[in-house]
Amino acid sequence: MSLPVSQMWAVSSYVIRQKLAGRKRYPLVLMLEPLFRCNLACAGCGKIQYPAQILRKHLTVEQCLAAVDECGAPIVSIPGGEPLMYPDIGRLVTELIGRRKYIYLCTNAILLKEKLEAGLFTPSKYFSFSVHLDGLREEHDEAVCRDGVYDQAVEGIKEALRRGFRVTTNSTLFDGASPLRVREFFDEVMDLGVEGMMISPGYSYSKAPDQEHFLRTQRAHDLFSRILSNPKRRWRFNQSPLFLQFLMGKQEFECTPWGNPTFNVFGWQRPCYLLQEGYAATFKELLETTKWENYGKRSGNEKCRDCMVHCGYEATAVNHTFGSWRGFRDTVATTVTGRF
Amino acid sequence: MTDSTLEGWSPEIGPGLSLAEVVDKAFDYRGNVTVVRTDGSETEGYLFNRNADAAVPFVQMFDVGGEGPQTIAYRDIRTIRFTGRDTAAGNSYAAWLRAKEAAKGGHPARGV
Repeated sequence: MSLPVSQMWAVSSYVIRQKLAGRKRYPLVLMLEPLFRCNLACAGCGKIQYPAQILRKHLTVEQCLAAVDECGAPIVSIPGGEPLMYPDIGRLVTELIGRRKYIYLCTNAILLKEKLEAGLFTPSKYFSFSVHLDGLREEHDEAVCRDGVYDQAVEGIKEALRRGFRVTTNSTLFDGASPLRVREFFDEVMDLGVEGMMISPGYSYSKAPDQEHFLRTQRAHDLFSRILSNPKRRWRFNQSPLFLQFLMGKQEFECTPWGNPTFNVFGWQRPCYLLQEGYAATFKELLETTKWENYGKRSGNEKCRDCMVHCGYEATAVNHTFGSWRGFRDTVATTVTGRF
Repeated sequence: MTDSTLEGWSPEIGPGLSLAEVVDKAFDYRGNVTVVRTDGSETEGYLFNRNADAAVPFVQMFDVGGEGPQTIAYRDIRTIRFTGRDTAAGNSYAAWLRAKEAAKGGHPARGV
C-alpha cells in the first residue's frame, strides 16, 4: 500500500470508533458528485446521459459541505462528471481540507494543467488528484472515445507532481484487457512517479450503454490473478490489499453498499454509486429506509450478481481488516511482503 | 444495452399497463418526459426519482428549465409521455466502435 501514515491512521481510528460505537452501517468514502457535466463522452459511462437542464445543474459548495458533514466519512471522493469543470472546485477543496477530509479529486486531467497554472489548488497531505487512466495510450484513448487524452492526462500528472501534489491513478479494467499490457501500464504509471494506483473491474450497471462489454466474475478473477499474482515490488496500490485479493478470487466478500454513499444533484443515491434505484433527501433517510437486504450477492439481485467494483467491496475489505484477526493478519502480510 | 428507445411513446394506462410500470420506465428513461395530471395540467422535465413504497407514492422531477424538484403523487398522475430526446439512445459502445471504423482515415471517432 502507498497510503500516507496519517491517512491510514485517520481511517483506522475512524473504523475502530465506529466498531466501538456498535454501528452496523457506517460510510467510509463519500462519493460527492457536484455535477454530471463532462468534457468526455466515454461509451462506458452513463453519468452524462441526461437532458441539458440536468447537465447544466451543479451543487453549491454549501450543499456539498452539508452532505460531507452529515455523512461524516473520513474520505471524500469527488467524481462526476468532470470535477475540474465545477466552477467552485477550488473553494470546495479548500473547505474540505479545512475539515481534514482526505480528498480524491477524480479527473480525466484534460483541464488539470490549466487549473494548476491558474493557481486553483495548493498541495496538501489531505488532497490527491486521482487521474483516470484505463491503460496505455491505445487502450485509454479507446476507453474514453477520444484520441490524445492519454497524453493530456500524462502531461497533467507530470505538472501536478512537479508542483508537489499527491497524484494517484484510477483504472477500470474491461473485458478483453491484456494482462501483459496492464502490467506494462503499471510500470509506465509508476515511472511517472505517482503515489499509487487504484484498479477496479468495470460493471454492467443497467444504464451503462456497453454492459455486454464488462467483466463477469470468473473472467475477472482470472484477469486479476494474471495481472497481480507476481507483482513487481515497485508497484504501489492506493487501496486495500484485501480488495486486490478479492479481485483475484482469494477473499470471499459481500458488498457494503453503504460504505461509499453517493450524493449528487438528485440527493442521496440508493443503494450505491452504480445502481440508481431512487434518492433520499438525507443521509439518515438513506441509511434507515433503503432495503439493504435487496442488494449484494447473497440477496440474489441479478444486478449485484457479478459486481466486484471497488465502491461496494473496498469498504468490505477495510472492515474485514479491522473486524477479524485473520483480516488484520492478511492485511499486514500483504503489506509487508508486497504479494497478494 | 441495445439502442432501442421509448422516445415518443405515449402510453395509455389501463388493464394491460399500470401507472407504476410507466413510472418505472420514466424513471429509467434518460430524457425529458411529460407528466399529465388527472386535472389535465402537464409538466415537462426530467423524472429522477420515484418512491412507490412511500405512504403516498410520489415521483420527483426537475422541469425543462432545471427548476425543482417538484413532487407529484402517483394518485395525481394520469399518464406520462416520453417526449424528450433519449440521451442514451445510439450511444452504445458498439455504436461507437462502428463510428470509429467508419471514420478510419485519421479523423477522431467521437468527442465532446
